Amino acid sequence: MSIGGSDLDKAITQLRACRPIPENQVRELCYKARELLIEEGNVVGVDAPVTICGDIHGQFHDLMELFRVGGDVPDTNYLFMGDFVDRGFYSLESFLLLLCLKVRYPDRITLIRGNHESRQITTVYGFYDECLRKYGSANVWRYCCEVFDYLALGALVSGAATSLSPTDGPLAETTNVESLPDSDSEIEIETLNANGEIMYRYARNSDSQSNAVSGANSNPASSSPAAPTPSRTGPAGTGATSSANGSSRNDTGAVLCVHGGLSPLIDTIDKIRLLDRKQEVPHEGAMCDLLWSDPDDIDGWGLSPRGAGFLFGADIVKCFNHKNDLSLIARAHQLVMEGFKEMFDSTIVTVWSAPNYCYRCGNVAAILELGEDGSNAGFVRRSNGERGGGGGGWALGSNDEPNRNGGGGGGANDNRRLSSVLADGMQRMRDGPGRRYRVFEAAPQDSRGMPAKKPVADYFL
Amino acid sequence: MSSLNGAPLDTHAPGHADTSITRDAFKITTRKLPILKAGPIDEMTKKLGIAPPEMIFGDNLARIEHIPSGWSLEFNAFDALDRVDKTGASMLEVSYSKEWQKNRQKQFEDIKEVVKPFDWSYSTDFKGTETGDSKLQPTGTPIPLALLRRPDPILFFDDVMLYEDELADNGIAMLSCKIRVMPARLLLLVRYFMRLDDVLVRIRDTRVYVEFATGEVIREYTAREEKYELVKKAHAGSGEDFLVIMRDPNLLTQFIPIVDKSLDKVVLQ
Repeated sequence: MSIGGSDLDKAITQLRACRPIPENQVRELCYKARELLIEEGNVVGVDAPVTICGDIHGQFHDLMELFRVGGDVPDTNYLFMGDFVDRGFYSLESFLLLLCLKVRYPDRITLIRGNHESRQITTVYGFYDECLRKYGSANVWRYCCEVFDYLALGALVSGAATSLSPTDGPLAETTNVESLPDSDSEIEIETLNANGEIMYRYARNSDSQSNAVSGANSNPASSSPAAPTPSRTGPAGTGATSSANGSSRNDTGAVLCVHGGLSPLIDTIDKIRLLDRKQEVPHEGAMCDLLWSDPDDIDGWGLSPRGAGFLFGADIVKCFNHKNDLSLIARAHQLVMEGFKEMFDSTIVTVWSAPNYCYRCGNVAAILELGEDGSNAGFVRRSNGERGGGGGGWALGSNDEPNRNGGGGGGANDNRRLSSVLADGMQRMRDGPGRRYRVFEAAPQDSRGMPAKKPVADYFL
Repeated sequence: MSSLNGAPLDTHAPGHADTSITRDAFKITTRKLPILKAGPIDEMTKKLGIAPPEMIFGDNLARIEHIPSGWSLEFNAFDALDRVDKTGASMLEVSYSKEWQKNRQKQFEDIKEVVKPFDWSYSTDFKGTETGDSKLQPTGTPIPLALLRRPDPILFFDDVMLYEDELADNGIAMLSCKIRVMPARLLLLVRYFMRLDDVLVRIRDTRVYVEFATGEVIREYTAREEKYELVKKAHAGSGEDFLVIMRDPNLLTQFIPIVDKSLDKVVLQ
């Protein structure tokens, strides 16, 4: 046994320094990882608190920055939503480090599969070439691809708190203290910069909000939404609206994490559990959709103009969340300049964790922290349902729901047709969990051990 | 620089605001900023009528101005994207689309509609946006390559990305500019490069040549296109790594025939 215990710690140290580990250790590591991953279901259960991360794409130094900003493993509980490899220069070190951490601290880090964790894609977009370059053979790439086949397809976070305990941090330079909600309000969204300074804070069911992001420079993001979405009053990235929260008071449901999005073949989370995932990512079918599909401002399901792949609209997300007792879907897969983007009345969020993507986009990255609901371990339950007509809490996953908002025609249940659930289900979406976004930039240039990329003059014709 | 694209003030993004050089009567300007944020993207989507590419450098530009006459030629992402087919009439399909649709149709008879069809490869024949009274006119005068092969000192150089899309991991589409300014002349190359894996390869080059002393501007547009499979065949036996070639438009051009070409010229006083 060449990797385990102190050897594993040694490998972690070496990888943290961005130095690859020897091939035989990779083999051992991948073997151990497979043994571990095979025990996980297609949908891994994760308890809050957890920090949810999006695409990494081999940007090793930025992954180190992510750990600096979000806290180190095992102090912080992490969930990575795939796309560890390709595009960046250090796919190998990034993936192996995450894998080492998984083997070392299996309960503190969850890895799910992205569309780049595939043989076919890695052959074209860099990881294969990188392995070949660094080891002189494709063996390491093969070991890693075998691990890819065992990665879970999704994760279900339960026990997330409905509101954040406000960060006791300083305000970011551009944040106006007047614009922060009262200290006793219930905080739904908080955005912190890489130094832990408060950039933005939003209280649930209120119009009062600070908006450091858009307030500082009149970012048109807050005033010009895409046509079919409801008008946003929150800052860039968030879908915060005072109306979205309506008058209903609900307990927060679970949070589904998946790399791409939903599939028309999947209407319940249990159907994800039934898939046979231990294979290369197929070109079609539910497994493919979960890793590839995108939300879009459309009604229902749509076909991507590319001739393959699905797009899904707000109604699909709201319906799915309602049916599965979810308050939020967290996904990655799409580059967003602000690092995160909430859509469809905050029922789905895209989290992107590769800053300055491909070393040239200039975007910031984000991670999403969900706090732990301390009130009732194991159950998602709120004690103070005084506002609205909400009131009662209930056990997670139960379909036996009370008439939560007192309006409309009674509680929906799973036996009803999706369309009819949709019709009256809209008014009583579960409140999302409290969401703390930490936004960070690319690691400083000097930490990368490579010079800044400047265009080199050449005599092109 | 942040006010230009609405980025937060604390975003330290790569790139620069306007940089320029003036040679005789000509002023050359480039601007390199981060990709657009959500708000500007929404605005652009509305104005264009199509979703912009994944990496949209909407603030970037390369511009050549002739100060005395007020003539200018500018390259920017919006104007280039405005020339992309927005109807879906020239829409491509990814390599596994047939197989995908065959299986899908059995399962979902109700999901038939392609959402907002348009040319998602963002193919453009954009040759620059021209302003001023003088206009480029068709000519037979080619760009004097011999003068450009001379190792004259390069006084100003930049490469500016206008947009890029990974075609949902089915290849690449990108529009980028490169410019070099020598003491007596300049060359600007704006290249659209698109590789749809196992389907098609396109390279559309616009070259702008300026001779400062005479005020002569020549613009050459060359469009190349070939089926992926035929490029593969043409390449077979060349001894070079096929995947490397497929990523490098400079190496690829030799395997792709020209399908369209035009030459324009204007002499500015």
